Amino acid sequence: MANSFSGADASLRTDRAVRRGPALQFTVDDQPVDAFAGESVAAALFAVGRRELRQSPRDSAPRGMFCMMGSCQECLVWVGQRQVPACQVPVTAGLAVQTLSFRRQHLD
Amino acid sequence: MINPADSSALRKIDLLVMGAGPAGARAALRAKASGLSVVLVDENNDAGGQVWRPLPDGFGRLPGIVAPVEARDGDALRHELRQAGVLCLFGHKVWNVGSNLRTDVISPEGSVSWLPSALLVATGTTERVIPFAGWTAPGVMGLAAATILLKSQNMLPGRRTLVVGCGPLLLAVANGILKAGGEVAAVIDLASRMDWLRTLSALRARPDLLWQGMRWQANLRLAGVPMLYRHGIESVVATQAGFDARVQPVDATGAPVDGAGRVFSVDAVTVGHGLVPGTDVTRLLRARHYYSADIGGWVAESDEMGRTSVPGLFVAGDGAGVAGAAAAGAHGELAALACAHDLGRVSQQNYALERTGLLAQRKQPARFGRAMAGLMALREGAVAAIKPETVVCRCEDVTRAEIDAAAKEGACDLNQLKAWTRCGMGPCQGRTCGDVVGALLALNVGSRESVGYFTGRAPLRPVSLAEVAGQYTYADIPIPKAAPL
Amino acid sequence: MTAIATPLGSTLDYDALVIGGGVMGCSTALHLARGGMRVALVDRGALCREASGVNAGTLTLHMTRAALVPYAMRAWQMWMDSDKWLGMGVLATQAPGLTLAFTPGECELLTLRAQARREQGAPIEIISPERARQIEPGLHPGLLMAGYCEIDGYASAYLTGRAMAYALKNAGVDIFENCPAESIDSGDSGHVVHFAGSQAPLRARRIVLAGGVWIENMLAMLGVQIPIKVLINQLVITERTRPVMRSVLSVANGLLSLKQFANGTVLIGGGWQGDGSRDEGGIEARPQNLVGNMRLAAYAVPALVEARVARVWLGLEAETADALPIIGDVPGVANAYVVGSAHSGYTSGPFMGRIMAQHMLGQTPDLPIFNPARLMGMPMPIA
Repeated sequence: MANSFSGADASLRTDRAVRRGPALQFTVDDQPVDAFAGESVAAALFAVGRRELRQSPRDSAPRGMFCMMGSCQECLVWVGQRQVPACQVPVTAGLAVQTLSFRRQHLD
Repeated sequence: MINPADSSALRKIDLLVMGAGPAGARAALRAKASGLSVVLVDENNDAGGQVWRPLPDGFGRLPGIVAPVEARDGDALRHELRQAGVLCLFGHKVWNVGSNLRTDVISPEGSVSWLPSALLVATGTTERVIPFAGWTAPGVMGLAAATILLKSQNMLPGRRTLVVGCGPLLLAVANGILKAGGEVAAVIDLASRMDWLRTLSALRARPDLLWQGMRWQANLRLAGVPMLYRHGIESVVATQAGFDARVQPVDATGAPVDGAGRVFSVDAVTVGHGLVPGTDVTRLLRARHYYSADIGGWVAESDEMGRTSVPGLFVAGDGAGVAGAAAAGAHGELAALACAHDLGRVSQQNYALERTGLLAQRKQPARFGRAMAGLMALREGAVAAIKPETVVCRCEDVTRAEIDAAAKEGACDLNQLKAWTRCGMGPCQGRTCGDVVGALLALNVGSRESVGYFTGRAPLRPVSLAEVAGQYTYADIPIPKAAPL
Repeated sequence: MTAIATPLGSTLDYDALVIGGGVMGCSTALHLARGGMRVALVDRGALCREASGVNAGTLTLHMTRAALVPYAMRAWQMWMDSDKWLGMGVLATQAPGLTLAFTPGECELLTLRAQARREQGAPIEIISPERARQIEPGLHPGLLMAGYCEIDGYASAYLTGRAMAYALKNAGVDIFENCPAESIDSGDSGHVVHFAGSQAPLRARRIVLAGGVWIENMLAMLGVQIPIKVLINQLVITERTRPVMRSVLSVANGLLSLKQFANGTVLIGGGWQGDGSRDEGGIEARPQNLVGNMRLAAYAVPALVEARVARVWLGLEAETADALPIIGDVPGVANAYVVGSAHSGYTSGPFMGRIMAQHMLGQTPDLPIFNPARLMGMPMPIA
């Protein structure tokens, strides 16, 4: 369930002082997402307005990136066989990321 | 994959440094220069910590653009580490430390254990956010988080952001947003102008930072960004376009006072109410700790060179008490010097000489850092103002009301409260809420000292069973004697 | 210990003072109070914060000593009814219990252990791997044989303190937390218990030593020497994980306890030893035992391998020289009783407290108690 904000086409990326890594695509819940090599998955998703990554355990409230430094564990996603904070996963070409609820729904 | 239990696979080393920020990196450099064998371990992809965050792999600074001072300082430090040939394990996660300082580290390749003669913990701080209605909504993030987005990921937190909380990060983040072409709806500071003016004498020792602060203020004025002192955030409510963030006037303790609030319509809120020293490792190793609100909360007892109550365990940098990045480097060097001395690798004479020099080097920056830390100290009125239905423990959705009910029923220390409410039992193990929950419980039952802190346990960061168990067959499981019939 | 020459007279504060607020002590105090006594309960810390609050909460017959099966069965029912007789629950949940065998040697052990428990009344049957997988689909494909018992389940041990405190207060028991007992003066008409700190001494006609691993120290306060062995058990809890199991699992050698709570967290235990002592408490896990325990768990239920570990901690367990409880009169000391030190004491705790109280109230205990005198002079077996 992605939040999208009006004007989501205007990028949050700022390239005034840096040159980003090469552009690439990775997938989130089987959907392609454009990003640049080296960005964290959390930032790359944030940039496309995809802020909600999971739901809280009791209240099922939407949760997403909060501390950006791998401490709060709010931005957990599945990468392969591991649950990891999205803020600590660098994007690579073809990286397949699954949100926790997507993985739960698609397990046989 | 090496079994952490296999002692023949233990990698012996003089000093293991956890955390490659200013304190840890400088400690590693000095240790190497002193002839110690040293390894520097950090989860991130390169050295620099929070204050000198490296760019992601693949990013590069544009030529002709003058990088900000901290970027240059960070690049210089990273360069120095490479030149000196310090053994750096980046992208490595320390998940356990034994009482003999055996350090278990997980990397993408597998689990490895080191056996250092000394362990320096230079893991810095985490950010404190005093809960308010709506703080868990995606799009509300820490000031440190916004800093990482801006400085490392080169990204704005939002198109129009509200910057809230207290401490020097407020101005830094607000200016970072402006510089990156974003809009700052307002800067909301719990402190008063007077609180800031009182730090002037400490700031005088750092004219560069004083000048920077004034420039930042001017930038905000020029951009028409309202600067609201003695205000705090009351609530954030999701709207179609983002958030309506309501702020309210507060007193010196952060408690709401009568007066008109204001509402800002934004698409992002970045909030931080100070920094809390990370004590995961020192609590795990049962070092003695003391509570000091002025330096961020509970910290391990340490002498001026970073020795803790546990032999061989050192702390340096903000994790030993918030004193700022500039003081952290000298602190790290002091710890490395102490370590070299305690391992018999430096003469008494040199030790005394270098110690004096480093202590002097640290004095002024620490004074400035402590002044900033004072601005970031937890304000009890803001904690008392947390509404009953507000979630306090994010991991477990525990509200203030549940914490108060447990306290009323007799829970009188943090660990008992944890057992009764599940506060602190989630994936973050109380790092995010611990300081605030301690303050809440203390409101009810007594001092922070009596309330204590969460018992430190492994893993220091979550690890999967796969990462710990590795590859094995049933025969590889060392089954001890069977239980009695 | 000082013998008091003159009677205490009518200045007794309590009919009974229970020293030690774990499950055994709490249950004893509760049953004594409901039996009409004026009762105080003291603990050096908060209630149920030692072994009773940090164990795996397994309510199984598989891993209970065979001789204790009848006791565990009655205690199981008490746990399942806990929200009724305590007024607050500990999320006690019935679940099928399976003991697993992965090697021929384990099959033999399994058969032996199941037989011993069946003889004591436990409804344990040996079943095929196919039947086991009907009960628990996620089991390792290499399973050879399983023992099955429908009287099994678990509680959330960390909720015990709050529930007990609630029940005790309602029963009129005076609770003294953070009051370490330092010494006991005993005489013909009663005892005076002295505390470290500011708590004034308490006088009671009867005392009950319910200190778990510290029963040895408490008995020494009365001049009685009985060794109590201390086990330092490691426990691991995962983060919330998708449902991967629905039973309580153990392995034939008794060295795995595995369950998934309603909230999705999985608790891994089984008595793997960590480092610590009676005086220092549990200090840290032993790496090879941590790895071993997790490997056994991930072997039994392969889907667990992706679960993330949230926390590793240690709990103390007490064991007497013959691994049976110590429940009854303190040898040679009038009006002094001791209750505790049962292997898997949490499982049977509520019932052990009841029979201790019955004995003290002059009633016939529902099942025989365990005379402490037998342990006098019994050497502790070499590990």
